[in-house]
Amino acid sequence: MTAPPLLAMRGIVKHFGGVHALRGVDLTVGAGEVHALLGENGAGKSTLMNILSGVVRPDGGGIELAGEPVALGSPAEAQAAGVAMIHQELDLVPQATVTENLFLGREPRTRLRTLDRAAMRRHARELLDDIGVELAPSRRLSSLRVGEQQMVAIAKALSLDARILVMDEPTSALSDSEVERLFAIIPGLRRRGVGVVFISHRMDEIAVVADRGTVLRDGRNAGSFVVAETPPAEIIRMMVGQPIEQLFPDREPPAERVRLRVRDLTVADGSDLGGRSEPRGVDLDVREGEVLGLAGLLGAGRTELLDALFGLAGHRLSGTVELDGEPVRLSDPRDAIAAGIGYVPEDRRASGLVMMESVAANIVLAALPALARAGWRRAAREREAVASSIRDLHIKTASAESAVGTLSGGNQQKVVFARHLLRQPRLLLLDDPTRGVDIGAKSEIYRLLAGLATSGLAVVVASSELPELLGICDRIAVLRGGRIVTVLDGRDATQEAILAAASIEQNSNPSRMEAG
Amino acid sequence: MTVDTTDPVEKPVEQSRRRRFVIPERFFTFQSYVALILVFLAAIIFSPRRNGEIVFLNSENLLNIVRAVSEIGILAIGMTFVILIAGIDLSVGAILGLAATGTASLLMVNDFGVAMTVLIILAIGMAFGATQGYLSARLGIQAFIVTLAGLQVARGLARIWSGGQGIALAYGDGPDVAPQAFSLLNSRTFNGTVPIPALIFAGVGVIALIVVRKTVFARHVYAIGGNERAARLSGIPVTRIKVTVFAISGLLAALAGIIHAGQLNQGSPNDGMGYELDAIAAVVIGGTSLMGGVGTVSGTLAGALLLGILNNILALNNIDSNVQLLIKGVIIVAAAGIQAFRSQQK
Repeated sequence: MTAPPLLAMRGIVKHFGGVHALRGVDLTVGAGEVHALLGENGAGKSTLMNILSGVVRPDGGGIELAGEPVALGSPAEAQAAGVAMIHQELDLVPQATVTENLFLGREPRTRLRTLDRAAMRRHARELLDDIGVELAPSRRLSSLRVGEQQMVAIAKALSLDARILVMDEPTSALSDSEVERLFAIIPGLRRRGVGVVFISHRMDEIAVVADRGTVLRDGRNAGSFVVAETPPAEIIRMMVGQPIEQLFPDREPPAERVRLRVRDLTVADGSDLGGRSEPRGVDLDVREGEVLGLAGLLGAGRTELLDALFGLAGHRLSGTVELDGEPVRLSDPRDAIAAGIGYVPEDRRASGLVMMESVAANIVLAALPALARAGWRRAAREREAVASSIRDLHIKTASAESAVGTLSGGNQQKVVFARHLLRQPRLLLLDDPTRGVDIGAKSEIYRLLAGLATSGLAVVVASSELPELLGICDRIAVLRGGRIVTVLDGRDATQEAILAAASIEQNSNPSRMEAG
Repeated sequence: MTVDTTDPVEKPVEQSRRRRFVIPERFFTFQSYVALILVFLAAIIFSPRRNGEIVFLNSENLLNIVRAVSEIGILAIGMTFVILIAGIDLSVGAILGLAATGTASLLMVNDFGVAMTVLIILAIGMAFGATQGYLSARLGIQAFIVTLAGLQVARGLARIWSGGQGIALAYGDGPDVAPQAFSLLNSRTFNGTVPIPALIFAGVGVIALIVVRKTVFARHVYAIGGNERAARLSGIPVTRIKVTVFAISGLLAALAGIIHAGQLNQGSPNDGMGYELDAIAAVVIGGTSLMGGVGTVSGTLAGALLLGILNNILALNNIDSNVQLLIKGVIIVAAAGIQAFRSQQK
C-alpha cells in the first residue's frame, strides 16, 4: 500500500455552454514534485487550474488532497485546503511594501490592537529567508522586478501553509537572470514537500525544473512523461498530436536593395525611464525580404528601438531614418504608418486589440480611412478586406463579428498582423510576436513571416526566445544599454554567442563608447 | 492504488444548485429598449382617462413628451460621444445657459438677425467644447476636471454677458425686439401638430445615428474608448478625435440653449442648471459604459425618451416632482446595476 499522492484530480469534466473544456482529465502530483502541465492554448490547462484553485466548479470528477476528498467551491476554500496560485498578473498591492503585502489582511497586532510593525518585519525577514530570497522587506512592491514580485507571492503562499503551488507561466515576463533566481528557490520547495504545478510553453525550462509532466490536448490527457526520460520532440508531439516536421520554414535569401537605413538613431531620455534603455547611436540596415532579429536581455532596449522606429518616441528622437532611400519623419505613429511601417506590439491586450470589439473592427482599424470615401465607410470594401485577411492568415474565428476576446492567443495575434498587413507595409516591426502563443500557432506565425519576407517585406523582430531568432532571422543585432553591440549572421550564430554579446561589457564596440 | 475516488454523482448536483442565474447576452443589447417599452406600457396602465380616452396616448401628449425631452436629448447625444471616449462633459448645462443668454442678448440688445445669432451662438458653443477637448487631450487633464472648470467659466460668462439678469424675448419688427421668425421655436409644424424643438431633436438624432453607422470618425471614437493605446498604434489621430468629440458636445449644448431660449421666450444665465446630470442619466440608461468604448446613440435616444415618459406620466397623475427625482434615481441605479451584472457575468 503506497501513500496517496499529494494531489489527485480524477476524471475532471467541465462544460462552458456547449463547449467541452475538459472531458475527463486526470492529474496527480506527489509531495516535493515539480509537475509540468503542458498543452496548447485552449487545451484546458487554465480551466483545470481554475478548478484546482476554486475559481471554477467542475461538472464532474473528484479532487483529493493527500488521499482526502475535498470540495473546492471557492478560492477561499482552495486556499484553506493549501492550494495557492501564482498568477501571471500578481495578486499583490503595488503601492505597499513587501512586508505589508506578506501580511495583507492578517496583520499582527500588539496588545493595544495597533499594528505590530516589529513583528511584521521580523516575520517577513524569516519568510523571505526560508525560500532563500534576498530582498529588503521594506521595499515598495512596485520598485521590484517582476521576478522579485513573484518570489514575494511565493513567500506569501508558503506562509499561508500552501501545499500545492500553481505557477502559471511564471517566467514569461522574466529576464534570464531572474529565471535563474526563481529556479534557485525550487529545491527549497521540494524539501518542504510542496507540490508544484508548473505551466510553461518553454521546453528548455521544463527540462531544467520539472520531474514529471502531463500534456493536455482538446480537454483530454494526451500523455504523461518523466522529464529525464523523454526527449522534447516527443513532448511536442503529444501537445500538437502530430509531429511538426519543421518549425522554422526555409526561405529565399533577401534581396540586395536596402529597405530601411537607420543612422545614429538616438532617443533622449524621457521622464519615466524605469529600468529601460532608450536607443543610443543605433546604425542599422535592413534589406528587402530580410528578417532582422533584435536580441538582448530584458531592459536592453529592444522594445524602445522598435517604438522609436514607429514614431512613439516623438520629438525625443534624433538621427536619420530612410525607407527605400527616402528620409522619413517619425514623430508620431501616424507618420510611421503613412511611410509604410507596420507594428505588432509586445502586449496585444494592452497595446494591440480593442478587446470588446469584433474581429472585423479590429482588423480594419488602421485601414479605415483608406477603405472609406471621404470619411464615409464603405461596408462592402471593409467586408472584403476582413474576409480576405481571415482567409489569408488562417484566423480561426466563429465569424468576423465575434468579439476578438473569444479568440485564442495565436489567432488574436494574427488579427493584429492582419491589421497592419492591410496597409501593405514596406517594413514590419514585431515585438515578441509569439509570446504566450502555443507551438502550433507559433509555427503558423513563422510560416506567415517567411511568406511575407519572400514577398519583399523587410521585417525587424525582437524576441526574448533565442531559438526563435536563430530559426527565423537572416541577421541578429544584439542590444545592450540601448546600443547595438554586434550583428551576427543568423546562419552561424549560436545562443552562446548572442548571450555573451548581450551580457558581457568588454564586447561592446569601443568606437561607440564615448557617445553616451 | 487503494484510494477511492469521490462519488462523481453527488457533486454536480450540489454545483448546479449553486449555479448563478444567467441572463442571455442579447438582453443587454436591447436593455434600454426593453426598459423603454416597459415604462411605456406602465404609462398606459397608470394614465388617467378622459371620456374613456387614455390621456397618455393622446398624440398631442406624445409629441409633447418629445418636445419636453428635446433639450436633454440633444445634450445626451453629444454626451454619448464624450462618454464613448471614456470622458465626461459636466459643462453642457452651463453652455446651454450661456447660449440661451447669448441668444436673447444678441436678438434683443444687439438686434442681430436670427441666422446671424444662431451661427454666432453655435460657434461659441463649438469653440468652448473644442477648447475643453484640447485641454483634456493635449495636456492630459482629466475631462471631469476640465469640464467642471468649464461649467464655472460658462456660467460666469453668461452672467457677465447679461449683467446677471435674465433677458426676456419680445417679438416684432424694429429695434429692441427679436425678429418674429425666432418665435418659430415655440410653434408647431405640420398643421400645428409637431413641435419644432421635437423636430430638431429628431433631426439631430437621425444625423447621429447615421454618423455612428457610416463614418470612420465613429469607429475611431469607439476604438479610442476601447483601447486608446491600440488606437494610437493604429495611426488614429487620437487628439484630433477627442477635440472633435468635445466640440460636438459644445455645439449641441449651444443648439439646445437656442431652443431653450425659443421655448421659454427668454435667456437667463441660470438656465440649464443640472441638465448635464439628466443628459448623463439618459446615456447611462441607454447602456453606454462610463469606461468608454461600449454604447449606442439609439440607446441614448431610448434613455432620453424613457426619462421624458416618466416625467410626463407622473405629471399627468399630479405626483409631486420630488417623487419624480426618487424614481429617476432608482432607474439610473437599476440601469447601472444591470451593466455591472453584465460585466460580472463575463
